[in-house]
Formats: sequence, structure tokens, C-alpha cells
Amino acid sequence: MKSIFLEWKKIRRTGFFPLFLGGGIVAGAVPIIHMAVRSKVYLIEQTPPIPFLFYENWQMMAMVNMLLVVTGSSLLYHLEYDHYAMEKWKSLPMRESSIFFGKVILTISMSTLPLGMEAGAIAFCSYHWFEVGSSLLKELWKSFAYAFLLMIPCILLSLLLSEACKNMWVSLGIGVICLFTATMLPTNNFLLSLFPFATNFQMAASMDRTKIIYYIYGSALESLILVLAEFLLIKVRRSFT
Amino acid sequence: MNIIETKNLSKSYGDFTAVSGINLHIPKGKVYGFLGPNGAGKSTTMKMFLGLTKPTGGSFTINGKKYPENRMEILKEVGSFIESPAFYGNLSGEENLEIISKILGLSNSSVSEALEIVGLTPFKKRLAKKYSLGMKQRLGLASAFIGKPPILILDEPTNGLDPVGIHEIRSLIRSLPEKFHCTVFVSSHLLAEMELLADYIGILNRGHLLFEGTLNDLKHMALSKGYPTDHLEDTFLALIDGDNQKRGAE
Ligand SMILES: Nc1ncnc2c1ncn2[C@@H]1O[C@H](COP(=O)(O)OP(=O)(O)OP(=O)(O)O)[C@@H](O)[C@H]1O
Ligand SMILES: [Mg+2]
Repeated sequence: MKSIFLEWKKIRRTGFFPLFLGGGIVAGAVPIIHMAVRSKVYLIEQTPPIPFLFYENWQMMAMVNMLLVVTGSSLLYHLEYDHYAMEKWKSLPMRESSIFFGKVILTISMSTLPLGMEAGAIAFCSYHWFEVGSSLLKELWKSFAYAFLLMIPCILLSLLLSEACKNMWVSLGIGVICLFTATMLPTNNFLLSLFPFATNFQMAASMDRTKIIYYIYGSALESLILVLAEFLLIKVRRSFT
Repeated sequence: MNIIETKNLSKSYGDFTAVSGINLHIPKGKVYGFLGPNGAGKSTTMKMFLGLTKPTGGSFTINGKKYPENRMEILKEVGSFIESPAFYGNLSGEENLEIISKILGLSNSSVSEALEIVGLTPFKKRLAKKYSLGMKQRLGLASAFIGKPPILILDEPTNGLDPVGIHEIRSLIRSLPEKFHCTVFVSSHLLAEMELLADYIGILNRGHLLFEGTLNDLKHMALSKGYPTDHLEDTFLALIDGDNQKRGAE
């Protein structure tokens, strides 16, 4: 608990919060602009809104979300390395891993901000341009809860990368490369699409139940591996100093 | 009673030995000056005490606690300031100390007390990255004192301070054992500085401990070896020079 509070205190004046707020606005604008520009063409179609909106926009929105996570985590560790703050914390009686997990929880909670704004935007589009059935909110909730769960391994990996690279440009670069690699992976191959950044392009809206559950299990397993990797990183780093 | 003791403590980086089997004895409640030229291994020794770097040989105990088994317990009793000051540039001096005080579980008044001690109160709202070198140094020192730990490890604490600052910090360090019943292990390049500060000194050169004892012991040793004793600085230089010649270009 204490470490989350400390992490929250540390991000003052860094632009971390405005970054996620701005990202949420950009990602939320994607479906709205898309619909505003092309609504006439679609109005005729009586498709269910959520799968349709996701299919048309999610690629772009997920991309924004992941860019946010990658930049955000580079920023968080830049704070630690910039003026050697990290060195100080290593000489204080606290677990080294608590810094990492504090940042994980901070980023996870912060990512609900853009996701919430995106959900709002999708809801707005649905009400404004489609005929809405009674299941809309349930489906919306399902889609975004799923997107949120799949985001967790992505957050863990980005933070781990940022912790491993003392130079923020290196971790930022690697993150962006991973992200673009992920866009090129085929989304229909289960194993390949489990690649942390690629998973986030999956949409619950157009998927059957078993597949959703597979992806959730896959992400949970990835998260577990990444948590273990963090402990390994601390061990390795300590034995090299 | 010795609060810090090392036994053949060594640290090698590859085939270079930075600290070579030293046996330090740091008595409780005293100021112990750790002297040596650049690269002697002072910072390396201090880092080993804090678990920032792993010894490659030997062992040490701090207040009866052994490393690495009791690393956390050791850290709870040690306040430290190693090499360059470390802080969050985006936070003010005050906010930086608040974070440390939270980690150590201290009371709210500890922050303003620490700021007052190092003379940063007028600048507490300024961002730490905008501090001058001496102010950063003071912030680092404040973060070492803040928990009033029984042991303080200070690496060149007067580095970068102006003459007034040097004097202030020296008097502060001098007064600490009485005020807070703590032991201070402080490093420096200058024997003259240690004369004003320390009860005991240890002299390190190229990772070897050349001398350990009181200043009087040092004078006696120098006399018996024929080193100059009028100015302690000369004694120190002669001692280092003699050792360098003995070891050659090893
Ligand atoms: N990570 C490292 N890898 C290799 N060599 C190192 C490393 N850290 C320190 N050294 C070497 O160990 C020696 C001792 O360094 P140390 O920093 O302890 O010296 P010092 O006594 O604190 O010097 P100064 O007075 O300049 O601060 C130096 O020769 C240094 O180059
Ligand atoms: Mg040093």
C-alpha cells in the first residue's frame, strides 16, 4: 500500500497523468471521428454496434493504449535513473521489488482512465448512430474488462523493459519496435497473438466464449512469468554490481 | 566496543582488486575518518556495507549483524550518503525528504527538522534539480540524518560545499555522536579535515589499509618511520607515497 502511495507522490510534475488523460482523449476520439465522417454509409446497416465499432476502430485504439503504456513506463523509470534516485532507495530498508510492483499497480490503475474514456466514446457512438439493444451495456462492459485484463501483461513487460534499460530512449525504442512487430503478427494464430503487445488487438466482441477464456488464461500465465522475470532481474543485477 | 568490523574484506572487479583484505575496527559512538587518495577504494568499501555491491572475499558485521543474511536489519540502522547525491529532480527538496520519511516510517516533523539541520529550510519548495551543487549535497546529507540512525556512513560529505558550508557540516558531524548517540563513518581525501573531525582514522591506499588508530597513534607511527610530522598532510602524503613505491606499478 505504502509503495503505491509513494509512486503516486513521485510522479508529480512529470506529465504522467496528463499523458494518460490525453491518450484517453485521442483514443476516444477515434471511433467518434470515424463515425461522424462516415455515418451515412453505415446507418442503413442494422448491425449490432459493439462488434462493428470494435472491428472498425479497435486496432487504432489499442495502439494508442499500448503507446501510452510504453511511454508511461519509460517515464516512470526515467525518474528513478535520472538523478540516481534508485541508488538511494537501494540503501533504504525496503524491498527493491516494491518499487516495481508499486509502479505496476499505479500504471494498471492509471490505464483504467483511457479505457474508461474509450468505453464512453464507444457508448456514445452506439447511442448516437445505431439502434441499441438491451444488451449494450453488458457487451460494452465485457469488451473493456477483457481489454483491461489483456493490458496487464503489456504493462508488466513495458515496466520490466524500462527497469532493465537505464536509458529511457532505449526502453522507449524497444517498446515501440515490439509494438510495431505486434501489428504485423497474424491475429488468427493463437500462440503468436499471445505476444504481449499483440494480445491487445484481440476483441472480445467478435469472439466466442472459449477463445476469450483461452486468452485470459494466456495473459495470466504471461503475467506470472513476467513477475518471476522481475525477481530474476533483481537477482542478476545484484550479482553483477 | 566496535560497531562495525570487517574481516579480510575484499572486492575485485575482474582481475583488478579495489579493496584488498582490509580489517577495519570502528568503535561505537565515535567519528571514524576513512582517508585515501582517489580510487583508493573508500566508496567501494562503503557500498559493500550497504549491500550496494557484493564483497568478493571476507566478511563484515554491523552492530552485530552479518551481511548478507541481515541486510535489511543493517539498512534499518544505517543512514547513508554515498558519492553523488541521489534524488528525484521533479520533486522539491521537501517532497524528496517526505518520501524517505514515509519509507522509514518517521513522524511528520522529521522532514522540517532535517531541512533545518542542513540549512535548506528557505529552499524547501524549490525543485531538487534546480538546486546548486552544495544544496544537492545538503539534501543528500539530510536524507542520511533524517531517521537519526545509530550509524551514519558519509562519503565525502563536504564535497562541493562553500567554506561556510564545510564548516557547518563539519561541526554538525562532530556534534552527532553526542547529540544522537551515533557512530559516524566518514570518508575524505584530506587529512587536515579529518584532524578537525575524527576520533579515529583509517588510511587506505590502492585497496590496502595502511594505518588504523587515533591521530596520536599516527604521529607516533610517522615518527618511528621517519616521515615528516609537522604537518599531518605531509605525513599522509609521505605514507601514501611510500606505499606506492613499495607496491610499484602493480
Ligand atoms: N563497477 C566497477 N567496475 C570496475 N572498477 C570499479 C568499479 N567501481 C569502482 N571501480 C574501481 O575501484 C577503485 C576504487 O574505487 P572507489 O570509488 O572505491 O574509490 P574512492 O576511494 O572512493 O575514490 P574517490 O576518492 O575518487 O571517490 C577505482 O580504481 C575504481 O576505478
Ligand atoms: Mg569515492
